[in-house]
Amino acid sequence: MLTEKYITGNCTISKGAVSKNGLTVFENNTPVNAFLLAVYQHLQLNYPKFYKMDNLSKLGWLAAELLLKDGFDKEAYQPEEVGVILANANSSLDDDLKYFDSIKNTASPSLFVYTLPNIVTGEICIRNHFKGEQAFFIQDTFDADFIAKQVNYLLNNNILQACICGWADVIDQEYKAVLFLVEKQKKETSVAFSAENMETIFKKDQV
Amino acid sequence: MSSSIYVAGVGVISAIGNNAAENLASLAMEKAGIGDITLLDTIYREKLPVAEVKLSNDELAAITGLPSNISRTTLLSVAATQEALDDAAIPGFGTLRTGFVSGNSVGGMDKSEDFFVDFLADSNKGKLRNVFDHECGSMTEIVADKLGISDFMTTISTACSSSANAIFYAARLIKNDVLDVVIAGGTDALAKFTLNGFNTLMILDKEFCKPFDEHREGLNLGEGAGYVVLVSEKVKNTLSKQPYCTLSGYKNSNDAYHQTASSPEGTGSYLAMKGALQKSGLTPADIDYINLHGTGTPNNDSAECTAIKRVFHPHYPPMSSTKSYTGHTLGACGGIEAVFSVLAIKNKIIYPNLRFETRIEDMPFEPEKNFLTGQEINHVMSNSFGFGGNCTSLIFSAI
Repeated sequence: MLTEKYITGNCTISKGAVSKNGLTVFENNTPVNAFLLAVYQHLQLNYPKFYKMDNLSKLGWLAAELLLKDGFDKEAYQPEEVGVILANANSSLDDDLKYFDSIKNTASPSLFVYTLPNIVTGEICIRNHFKGEQAFFIQDTFDADFIAKQVNYLLNNNILQACICGWADVIDQEYKAVLFLVEKQKKETSVAFSAENMETIFKKDQV
Repeated sequence: MSSSIYVAGVGVISAIGNNAAENLASLAMEKAGIGDITLLDTIYREKLPVAEVKLSNDELAAITGLPSNISRTTLLSVAATQEALDDAAIPGFGTLRTGFVSGNSVGGMDKSEDFFVDFLADSNKGKLRNVFDHECGSMTEIVADKLGISDFMTTISTACSSSANAIFYAARLIKNDVLDVVIAGGTDALAKFTLNGFNTLMILDKEFCKPFDEHREGLNLGEGAGYVVLVSEKVKNTLSKQPYCTLSGYKNSNDAYHQTASSPEGTGSYLAMKGALQKSGLTPADIDYINLHGTGTPNNDSAECTAIKRVFHPHYPPMSSTKSYTGHTLGACGGIEAVFSVLAIKNKIIYPNLRFETRIEDMPFEPEKNFLTGQEINHVMSNSFGFGGNCTSLIFSAI
């Protein structure tokens, strides 16, 4: 049941920089709120719901937008064949704390509806009409082995044909998203799907 | 494969009664169970009306034979499942392949809230026993043990469609010959967690709710439990009394639109109703009564209205939201309303939608205002739509 799997694209948003497949596409050294808006504007996206999202959803959603831009053939898949497997360390705490602050005056419904970490996976799926398996895990640090095991299981058993996986984490001014597109067909820029290759790409912003 | 799925027993506890007979009497007398908060310890007493089950935990414990210091969610579940199982009176129950599929959304949150009062004041304090059964699945395990069911049990937590999905899933377990008998439905107790959450979403009515009314302002939270006993064809033939009806159709669909709200077009609810009809081999004109999801929130009712219009236009069957009696019981509502749907078929009755005054603008139909008896009811559709756009419709059919 083992099938060949490739990372056919990757996208990193971290430390004021946005990169796709290892190439920096945008830099802007502003605080997180302004930065995420600048990325949205730079990508010339038109999705009014973006403005309602919490920072975790904005971060993950933007990374997915860039990841799937140019090169992802959505038509090649049924909605049920594409899944999303993400993880982070801080859950939805960034929004939880803002919501907790809002309780002192009037509890904010718009902050409340983002007080779950897996809302970001929902936002990505709604945008792209993905209806495959999805999961969101909380881990101390990016556990590439664990993510690889999850994705391998889903693709080897033909539960999915493609999967977005990776990391999306934000707390206050600290943020980092690294998303991988995993498919069964090889592309020019693709590398084999493995924990090691994810790990290498994940650490690139640290050099 | 069992060709049909039969409903052999029902059990229900809600704000309008502690068993099926009491619920039925309140429905007939048009007596809502909504009122001031008397049991839940909250700052919203006398501010927000809710639909409480009128028994304290001590009283529930006495009825069920369980300790009173466990979650109210479990106590309610045991009360209703015991009634359902007694009602079904299945010969040789212990020799059959039996299952328990139960939905809930709050789990043991009521006890966790007790724990945190002490724990937050002093991190060395707080009874750990109170958080031990926090998880939704704990409710199901305790109840299954109590009922003597060990072949199969599972918990479904899909917000307000949890217990409708439990019934749906149970039917498939029988249909595919995995089990002979399944007790299916759901339970939820009131908790600060849900009251405060729904209050934050600004969808609680400060007065008694007005489902499907142009001037509706939100829902009233309720609590309770409702279960049906589903049996296979084979088991049905051994019963000493006629089963109530069959579960002839079921469908789950999803809006994938918003974390909490339904899509304005009611896509999920449209697909659920349409799919359930298809499964049962019925046409919209065959449906004699719709037990609406009808929460009373502007968003749900307008989306459900739109979806009903898409499915049923121009022939609208009588319809009503019994949440105008029981409040919105969240993970229990699909189970409670399944019981009401079954009782509508058995007793040839249609329940009124209490406090309805003004038809929703631009809608060519409105809910039933009177308690109707002597109705020829062959097919009832029961809608349960949950947060995240998780929509389920069930269809019960006379035999």
